[in-house]
Order: sequence, then structure tokens, then C-alpha cells
Amino acid sequence: MNNHLSENQITEWALGTSDEHVLRHLETCSACSREVEELRSALAGFRDGVHASARRDLGFWRSLQLAVCERLPAQDWYPLHWAWVLAMVVVLITAILLTRAPSVPKNYLSEDADNALLQAVQGDLSRDVPQALAPAVLIAEERNEILNNRRLTK
Amino acid sequence: MVQNGQAAMMIPAQEGVGLGMIALDDFTPLVEAHQRRIYRVLLGMTRDPDAAQNLTQECFLKAYQKRGTFRGEASVGVWLLKIAVNLARDHRRSRLREFWDRLASSSAEVEELGRSLPDPQASPERVILGREEVSGVWAAVQKLPAQQRAVFVLRFVEEMSLEEIAEATSLKVGTVKTHLFRAVHAVRRQCKRGNV
Repeated sequence: MNNHLSENQITEWALGTSDEHVLRHLETCSACSREVEELRSALAGFRDGVHASARRDLGFWRSLQLAVCERLPAQDWYPLHWAWVLAMVVVLITAILLTRAPSVPKNYLSEDADNALLQAVQGDLSRDVPQALAPAVLIAEERNEILNNRRLTK
Repeated sequence: MVQNGQAAMMIPAQEGVGLGMIALDDFTPLVEAHQRRIYRVLLGMTRDPDAAQNLTQECFLKAYQKRGTFRGEASVGVWLLKIAVNLARDHRRSRLREFWDRLASSSAEVEELGRSLPDPQASPERVILGREEVSGVWAAVQKLPAQQRAVFVLRFVEEMSLEEIAEATSLKVGTVKTHLFRAVHAVRRQCKRGNV
């Protein structure tokens, strides 16, 4: 009795993936042949039954097709709508980025700073008195002026 | 084995690459080519003709909305089935619907399915046995979890390959096989119980 096909072997047969051993066994074993034939018949009956139940006249298919097509344009604007929204967001972000970005390139800025520093150094070198002593010169000049005025009044 | 599936998939993958650009006029033939198969799968999964009809419409509306995401890795037919399977799964998630489904488990549709077995040559006894057999399988399929029911219907109603089922259900081939094993076991158990 243990030599009969297992449940899995019968299922493999139903799926069409059984091996040679199973097929050879079915040729000689009437009990297993009856089992698989019952299964085959049940599955074929189910398939034919569903096919027969799903059979409809031409009017049914036409009305179904019409119902689908009538609903299609109403639904169609959704993907387009979202595409427009996405495009507008991208344009807006790009515009914001463009208006916020610095208009002068960095290289020009550093070049101007270098020129200003060189001019400042040149100015310092060309002075008679260093810039740091300029207030002292003014004080001395004022003092000399006061002394001169006093001398004149005497 | 997959002759029905191939017949329903009229637009091969390469032609479907530009689906994102498809116009309304071009979408109508697509509906015409695939509506029967989508309806059949949804009917097999929901057992409810009204729900199958509504979900078929939803499937094509969703496909039209998402046409830009179709990359042509699978055929249009398998891509549509993927949408249909997801819709059927969402449909079943409603607890209220499950309640009514269970209540109607021996409903007229099951009987109608049994009656629709086309075998005019069979003896009256064989016809009765056949009807009971089909009704038994149908009832067993409705008790399967959503994922198992989907792979079972795609395999045994649409006769799709394991690879196509994997594509349509977003599962690995090994997982599809496992689901099929469990589904067939459950159906066999249910049918045997029904026969006792």
C-alpha cells in the first residue's frame, strides 16, 4: 500500500511537473490512476464551468466596453493635473534659486580686495608721516600755533 | 497547456512598451481584446457576476490611469491580470462582503455553475455526479485564502504557466508553486469530504 503515489506526487501530476517514475507508476496502478483521473476530471469540470458561467452575449461586452470608455476621459485629467502641478513647483524652485544666488563671481571679489590692500600699502609708503602718528602731528601743529599766538600778543 | 492564455494576450510585450502614450481611441480595442479574460478571472475569484462586471470596469480604468507605468516587461494581458488580481483581493478584504459571501456559499451561482457543465453525451448519473463535483471544487476554491485562490484560478481556469502567474501575482515562482500545492490539497480534501 505504501507504494501508492503520495499527495504531493498527485499534486505534481496535476501541475504537470511530475517525473518519469510517477508516470510509470500510473501505467500500472489502477488505484492511483483512478485518483488522478478524478482530480483531472474535477479540475477540468471546474475550468469548463467557470468558462461557461463567464460566457455572455455580445451586448454585454459592448455595454461593458462602453461603460469603461465613458468613464475614461473624466479620469484622464488626474495624471495631467499632477504633471502640471509638478512642473509649476519645479519652475518656482528654480526661480527662487536663481534670484537668491550671488550675481558677482567669487574670483572678482578676491581680486578687488587684493587691489585695495595694495593701494593702502602704497598710500602708507608715500606718506611723510606714518598714518599711526598723524594725530600726534596735528597736536604738535596746534601746540606750535598756540605758542606763536602767545608770542605775538606779548 | 496555455493556448487560452496566449489567445487572450493579443498585444505582445514589445508592442506594449509605448502604452504610456496610448490615446483613448487606441485603448478601446485593448478593452475589447482583454475584457472577456479579465471578467472570467474575476468571476472565478469573486463568484459574483455583478462584482466581476464592476471590477472589470475598474481594472481597465486603473490600467488607463497607470498606463504610463507600464514598461513592457510582461505582456499587456499579464499586466492587466495583475491589476485584476489586486482588485479582487481588495474586494474580498471587506469583512461585510465576506460575511455575505459565506451566507450565500450555497447560492444560486454555485448551482448554475454546476448546471453549466457542457457534456450532452454523459449519462444522467454522470451529469449529476459531475455537477456535484464541480460545485464541490467551486465551494472549496471560495474557502481558499486570497493568494491561493488567485493562483488556482490563473492555473486551472486560465491555464497559465507558473512564470506568468508569478508575474501576475508579484510572487516568486517557488511561492506560486507552494500556493498551488496547498490549494490543490485543500480542494482535494474538500472534495473527498463532500463525497463521503
